[in-house]
Amino acid sequence: MSLEVPPHAATTPVLRLQGVHKQRGNRTVLQGLSLELQRGEVFGLLGPNGCGKSTTLLIASGLLRPDAGSVLIEGAAGPGTRARVGLCPQQPALYRELRPAENLDFFAQLYGVPAAERARRVAALMQRFGLAPHAATAAGRLSGGWQQRLNLAVALVHAPALLLLDEPTAAVDLQARQEIGALIAGLNADGTTVLMTTHDIDEAQALCHRVGLMQGGRLAAVGTPAELCARVPGRAVATVITPNPAAVHARAALLGWPVRERAGALACLLPQAPHAGTLRDLVQAFDGVAISSVSVQPVGLAHAYLEVMQAEAASARA
Amino acid sequence: MLLPQTLAIARRILIEHARQPRTLFFWGLFPALMMLLFGLIYGHNPTMRVGLDATPAGILIGAALFFSGLGGTMAIVVGERERGTLKRLLMSPLNPAAYFLGIVLALSVVALLQAVVVFAVAWPLGARFRGNVALGALVVGLSVFGYVGIGFFFAARFARRAEDLNGPLAALGVPLLVLGGTFFPLSLMPDFLVALARVNPVLHMSEALKGVAGRGLGPHDIASELLFLAAFSAAALALGALSWRRLLAEEAGA
Repeated sequence: MSLEVPPHAATTPVLRLQGVHKQRGNRTVLQGLSLELQRGEVFGLLGPNGCGKSTTLLIASGLLRPDAGSVLIEGAAGPGTRARVGLCPQQPALYRELRPAENLDFFAQLYGVPAAERARRVAALMQRFGLAPHAATAAGRLSGGWQQRLNLAVALVHAPALLLLDEPTAAVDLQARQEIGALIAGLNADGTTVLMTTHDIDEAQALCHRVGLMQGGRLAAVGTPAELCARVPGRAVATVITPNPAAVHARAALLGWPVRERAGALACLLPQAPHAGTLRDLVQAFDGVAISSVSVQPVGLAHAYLEVMQAEAASARA
Repeated sequence: MLLPQTLAIARRILIEHARQPRTLFFWGLFPALMMLLFGLIYGHNPTMRVGLDATPAGILIGAALFFSGLGGTMAIVVGERERGTLKRLLMSPLNPAAYFLGIVLALSVVALLQAVVVFAVAWPLGARFRGNVALGALVVGLSVFGYVGIGFFFAARFARRAEDLNGPLAALGVPLLVLGGTFFPLSLMPDFLVALARVNPVLHMSEALKGVAGRGLGPHDIASELLFLAAFSAAALALGALSWRRLLAEEAGA
């Protein structure tokens, strides 16, 4: 599934990172990162551990200052912009003895939300996030999934212009993951701008208008999931497990199919999208080649990710 | 924003304490037992009976507020770090002074409860509060302020996790108590320790409250202690703001 990118209206971007550098000790964490998020956009940052995703979020949040480059929230810079950003950390950051509404109310008070508006917002968030049945339960006694919902709700209590989500579904079970994904999609439908990090490629494909693939502190590729998928030189991927990889390479070369080596298997990039006869065609194509198993998938964001990361690794080696 | 934020912080801390009554219970039990033991010993020795009225004040400063004010502040700040809420606080437009004052306010309420417990135990043992209660409350308030300042500094500098709390509390806090004349009177100390004790806020808390409670001294009699504690409170607030910046830097780097 690919979402439609919101129209890039001639308005100030909600977030603008320009040439951001960050050094931590001897390590360059971000090198010249530039990124713009338009109002209503959901942008996902994908990349291996240590590639700079979380540092990007911290810099966008205003908690961490870049060594060079600029950070603008709705066109403004400086510590005052922190209040326009809502941060949802990976682990629930809640007062465990306080009930859900008390957590929400507390943070709303810190942001100076007037009392009447505060009560309205707290009630609305309790309702929207399905927390009303748990109103009497202390946050620390909620299950992981409910704590994460509350964690997300707290990040929204001051109606931020930009919502930062740090791997929002990393620590919850599958059902909670789906429910939280639906909540994020719902928030975006209301126009909330979201910058999220994730390791879940399916989640990124389902939720994000655009995705940035990070490697070594910079964006190796940016685009809609469809645009990133178009970088893969094929429309379907046949994953082949064989005792004779050389033979598969040779046959694929004859057929003009690029081959990638991935975790003990070979990925043959097929020129056509999968159809009912694809497997039969593959069996015929590899006639005479020893094959243990073969499966076919349409090209997805995961393939685009691997394609970009392998290209980056090759470029780094060169 | 300062007042509403201060009240929000104080209210939150008090709700948390009310729902974790075990901590409150031990914060009450420890000084109550100390008062009981000291009272029984003082009562048993006629020569020591003269110091009985000052004993609740010494216990309040050296046993009750030391743990609730200093240890309590450290636990609050370290708890924010461990829960991840510190990051949220630092992201918000929370005034560092409001956070500091919120802790002072909440722990002053706790101190009030501790004072009630200590004097409730002291009364049947024969100890009496000789001075002005409002002046005593002012000294307690300034003492809480001072302890919160020290606790804030210790937590920002030396404690990242709950397991780190006891180290600085014992290694740095207890010497402050000794130098505060809690265990030994100043008259037993060598000159250089007396000089050191004179800049120790715990000494001034202890002297002021003992003076008011045990000897019925008035504001003029303890003016120098009050002045020192007021100055230290202002310094503690500034120290709190600096510690807040340090927390921000550390949290961003975490």
